[in-house]
Amino acid sequence: MPDKHLSSQFDHELNTVSSRLMEMGGLVESQIQQAVYALSLFVEEVADQVIKTESQVNSMEVEIDRELSTIIARRQPTARDLRLLMAISKATANLERAGDEANKIARMVKSLIHSGGFRSLPSSELRLTTEMASGLLRKALDAFARLDTSTALSILKEDDLIDKEFDGFVRKLITYMMEDPRTISSSLDLLFVAKALERIGDHAKNIAELIIYIVKGEDVRHTSMEHIESTLQ
Amino acid sequence: MVDITPKNAIEVRNLDFYYGKFQGLKKIDLNIQENAVTAFIGPSGCGKSTLLRTFNRMYSLYPGQHAEGEILFYGQNILDKSQDLNLLRAQIGMVFQKPTPFPMSIYDNIAFGIRLYENLSRSEMDDRVESALQKAAIWDEVKDKLGQSGLSLSGGQQQRLCIARTVAVRPKVILLDEPTSALDPISTSKVEELINDLKKDYTVAIVTHNMQQAARVSDFTAYMYLGNMVEFGATEQIFFKPNRKETEDYITGRFG
Repeated sequence: MPDKHLSSQFDHELNTVSSRLMEMGGLVESQIQQAVYALSLFVEEVADQVIKTESQVNSMEVEIDRELSTIIARRQPTARDLRLLMAISKATANLERAGDEANKIARMVKSLIHSGGFRSLPSSELRLTTEMASGLLRKALDAFARLDTSTALSILKEDDLIDKEFDGFVRKLITYMMEDPRTISSSLDLLFVAKALERIGDHAKNIAELIIYIVKGEDVRHTSMEHIESTLQ
Repeated sequence: MVDITPKNAIEVRNLDFYYGKFQGLKKIDLNIQENAVTAFIGPSGCGKSTLLRTFNRMYSLYPGQHAEGEILFYGQNILDKSQDLNLLRAQIGMVFQKPTPFPMSIYDNIAFGIRLYENLSRSEMDDRVESALQKAAIWDEVKDKLGQSGLSLSGGQQQRLCIARTVAVRPKVILLDEPTSALDPISTSKVEELINDLKKDYTVAIVTHNMQQAARVSDFTAYMYLGNMVEFGATEQIFFKPNRKETEDYITGRFG
């Protein structure tokens, strides 16, 4: 079966916009990595680097959307091509927001450094959530590039684990705050960090759902895991 | 209780069609729903025009062409030898790719067909001509020049005149064979708008090379290839999520 279009220019346009998405994904991934690094070692320079990258990510989102509009106007894509372009547009929005979350983490790290409160807090408890969230986003981008629905499914399942980790962490923070009310302000900063990580996991999950949308033509947002599994049968 | 299940105007059963020894259509099964637009798409030579031409037995003009199977028009098999072809073509009208106005006045272009079947008074005829031109959305453009030759109109107007001529004999089904491929985009939009209006009163079947046109105007789409019906379904589904890989390759331009 021919997988190329009659118009090689159309293929070229689709490939270009897809690789732009991957490029943007790479940038957001590095933002998350840096934010995580800044968080575990409390290095302010690295946190600043994350914040600097944001404008680059934002302009990539705008640029990719502009390319998508051009392709739609010129090619009137249908079926799988149409689904791919719609999915790319939504994936860029998710990536941009994941980048925003990395930014929030970086800002919190700065605020924790300045208040000096991080020393008495369980910030190392976040390591697992952190690794899960950034790993999940990388996996989602990787699966998107290969249109791999079985990986997409495992991402949806892993996101539930992050949500559980988050709940556990919140309980832990509450104990700290009750023991020593002086940690409340720093604990709240850490809570926002945890929330940001949990949101990054959600964005990875959204991207995973888009993979199923492209391949199966089925919108699986807000549906049960059983429904998604039966779609992929 | 009012029965609201959609009726079929035409039901095709196990239809084979031959140009001499060459088989142009293979075992076609298809229902054409009443008061809906059904579009036929596919590459040149796939049989879509051939299929459309079986619906009013246009092929009977050519010796050596014959059809086997059944085409039920409201339950009656029109492939029967006893079928009155003139009556059939009044009930199932056809509009072709190139506008074909008769070399006579705009008024007579419409009245000509009606006179073959009915004997109307002058005022009744005036009403019929006006109503046909109105249904074809061309009345406002021609009402002050009904005596002028039909050939004096622009291509887009000529095509709508031909649609008016088809409508004038009050058919049940209108077959359109690439009705806009010779028209500019504005005339095309007018004809597409008209197709949408026509389905209130008629059943429409359209063959088009322009896939986006099929996507815009039809309720159902059939994709044909090499004389076979590859996929038939709601237009929405065919253009968003076709079930067959062959259909997907064709509509996304991967056909090679």
